Amino acid sequence: MVTIYKVSYVVTGEDHPGAILNTEKRPIPGDLVRLGTREFQVEEVIELIPPRGEFHYMHATLKPVPEKADP
Amino acid sequence: MDPLSILQSVELFEGLTSEELRALAELCHERSFGNGEVITRQGEPGEELYIVYEGFVEVVRNAESSERAPRTVVHLGSGQIFGEMALLDRGPRSATVKSASDHARLLVIHRDDFERACEGNHHLGYVVMRNIAADLSFKLRHRHLTGR
Repeated sequence: MVTIYKVSYVVTGEDHPGAILNTEKRPIPGDLVRLGTREFQVEEVIELIPPRGEFHYMHATLKPVPEKADP
Repeated sequence: MDPLSILQSVELFEGLTSEELRALAELCHERSFGNGEVITRQGEPGEELYIVYEGFVEVVRNAESSERAPRTVVHLGSGQIFGEMALLDRGPRSATVKSASDHARLLVIHRDDFERACEGNHHLGYVVMRNIAADLSFKLRHRHLTGR
């Protein structure tokens, strides 16, 4: 069975609702994550609750990635 | 993508046998929504459970209130469910849910089909209800972490 990471993403430093989604790759600091139209970088990851079956439950904090200016 | 392979990656169905998963997959209907399209509306009755398997949806409180400012509570992506509260307690929808992707794809299970499946197979019913409780708990933890 494939391990599935259910991740609670919380954006720091701004009023953002964050997101919950499943991924097959364990999030690690430095990863880039796209939520809707915006891109964020993972800052910190913790295991939120113990795993159950093939599901692991993670909490990751995100910081916004500055949008590139048009050339 | 067939419903069975989608259901295998959804926590709601963790712990079910292959036969039980196949039975539930037969109850699922697929729907797609464009960006901003309303899927459920706060205050309206609801009889369906939704499973996101592609794209994102946005959960908004007071989306159409003239007295309170709209507030996005969370974005839900692949593998997440919504609509479970009205499905279980038969109350009105607690929030408006809109597509936040150009092409959000969902699986939908109607309450009558869902209840028949749970009542007809008590193992299936127990596992799914336990997983709904765990999902609600996870959403509450997320909400505490966001401070919303």
